[in-house]
Amino acid sequence: MIDVQNLTKQYAGRTAVNNISFQVEPGEIVGFLGPNGAGKSTTMRILSGYMPATSGRAQVAGFDVFQQSLDVRRSVGYMPEMAPLYTDMKVKEYLRFRAELKGLGGLAMRKRVGEVMELTGINDMRRRLIGNLSKGYRQRVALADALVHRPKLLILDEPTNGLDPVQIRQVRDLLRNLKSKHTVLLSTHILHEVEQTCDRVVMIHQGRIRANDTPENLTSQLRSTTLLHLELEGVGNLAEKLAALPGVRKTNEEKLLVHPWRRFTLRVEPGHDVRDAVLDLALRQKWRVREMHRQLPTLEDVFVELSMNAGIPGDIPTHVL
Amino acid sequence: MRIFWILLKKELHSFFVSPVAYVVLALVMVLNGFAFRAALSVLESAPSEGSIVSWTFHAMWFWLSYFFIFPLLTMRLFAEEKKLGTLETLFTAPVRAWQVVGSKYLASVIVYCVLWLPSLFNFKFSSWISAGQVEVPAGAMQGAYLILVVMGMFNLAVGCFASSLTSNQIVAAIISFTLSLMHFLLGIFIMVVGRKISDSIVDVVNYFAATEHIRIFTAGLIDSRPLAYYLSMSLLFLTFTHHIVEFRRWRP
Repeated sequence: MIDVQNLTKQYAGRTAVNNISFQVEPGEIVGFLGPNGAGKSTTMRILSGYMPATSGRAQVAGFDVFQQSLDVRRSVGYMPEMAPLYTDMKVKEYLRFRAELKGLGGLAMRKRVGEVMELTGINDMRRRLIGNLSKGYRQRVALADALVHRPKLLILDEPTNGLDPVQIRQVRDLLRNLKSKHTVLLSTHILHEVEQTCDRVVMIHQGRIRANDTPENLTSQLRSTTLLHLELEGVGNLAEKLAALPGVRKTNEEKLLVHPWRRFTLRVEPGHDVRDAVLDLALRQKWRVREMHRQLPTLEDVFVELSMNAGIPGDIPTHVL
Repeated sequence: MRIFWILLKKELHSFFVSPVAYVVLALVMVLNGFAFRAALSVLESAPSEGSIVSWTFHAMWFWLSYFFIFPLLTMRLFAEEKKLGTLETLFTAPVRAWQVVGSKYLASVIVYCVLWLPSLFNFKFSSWISAGQVEVPAGAMQGAYLILVVMGMFNLAVGCFASSLTSNQIVAAIISFTLSLMHFLLGIFIMVVGRKISDSIVDVVNYFAATEHIRIFTAGLIDSRPLAYYLSMSLLFLTFTHHIVEFRRWRP
């Protein structure tokens, strides 16, 4: 659905997107992740046919974004960042205008506008002036606009920006439901959202792709250590014995008020699971265990790690890159 | 072409839902009233060669209204879209740049023509109340309104161009006002300097002197040269506008 090859975009000497390549298959929901100014919006603007790349090639739905811009624009539903809308139009009026621009007409257009208003939950607002709507509703009007011509590909630039938690959940559910009919490329810097919604994550930082994988793979391949929280009862130097287990990098004992119980936090090397070993050790030593809890690294940790290490490419594990 | 009409409808809609069109309309009506009254008092005081039409469009009041119209009508066109960011939504829909520029321009021309409709009533009115005593020559009327429309088309194209240059409506208005006024002042320059300079320069400047065009056309003389001049200049400025809007797409 999307095929990007060696795409570069420079603004007046500043490189916003630096030689990136990636593909998106039909039916996928791909999250475009990166800190502010990473080049997400620039890439999306190029893909939606709004502006050309400095070099490289990008195809959307089989059309070249520069040479066949109009065909690309017909097959893409694009929602820009901040959801710019005409503030002097009413919701229904605006959506009808947009639907007509995108080639719908007559009864089919009216019906479709009704459908997308229903889908995005703005039916009650259809007679309101867009300028008087709250941020959340404007965002949804923009989303309805992106959906109105049943595009093959949806490009959404920060679709949940400025929404409240309930609205974010609604948009997330909406996107999951859209999956059967549309391919979705969405950008965000909210990691939770990506973990919940996306099949695949493309992480971009300083104009380069840092990672391109499923959220699960990204977190499991992470260099960041997993944490294991333990509550034990036993005598002697437990920390030393725990630290001796293979794969344990560091052991911390925390003060606990309930007397015989002691609390430990183990830092475990990536790729190791020491839970069985800990339990075996406890049985052999006749310790009593009342809690064992493994804390997996989140995508947030991956994100922070990749962002921090951006300057030193060698520091990023090659299998993540 | 379908896209063009959809865009034109939307542009006209935004003219008439905002107060701008009505404010300009009120301003033009009031100043036209003054111009008309000034023309009547000229005819009242002494016999005159000119008709009521030519005196109306010679009045200072007419020129006073004239240069406020264009910035007010055109400053919004592109500057507002840039400011709101809607240019991005607009150009990610399957529309071509000429459709956008053309529809915005045509909408402003239509609104401009609407502005002059009430002044037609002034002339009708004068012949009613005087029972046909005040002569309103048909040729002068046709000439006057023809040149008004054509001069308007030129100045609106200049305004479109100014609006495409910036995202600030005030800046757009100032650029448009300055360009229109500079063009107009070329003609005034001849009036001030008079015959002190060589005839050939006077003749050349008279080709694009708006006051001269008004004088000829309100006398009922329809000259094709100013028509060709204004229309080709409109086209030139619209081409500039198109290139500026489209430049975004070509900038590497």
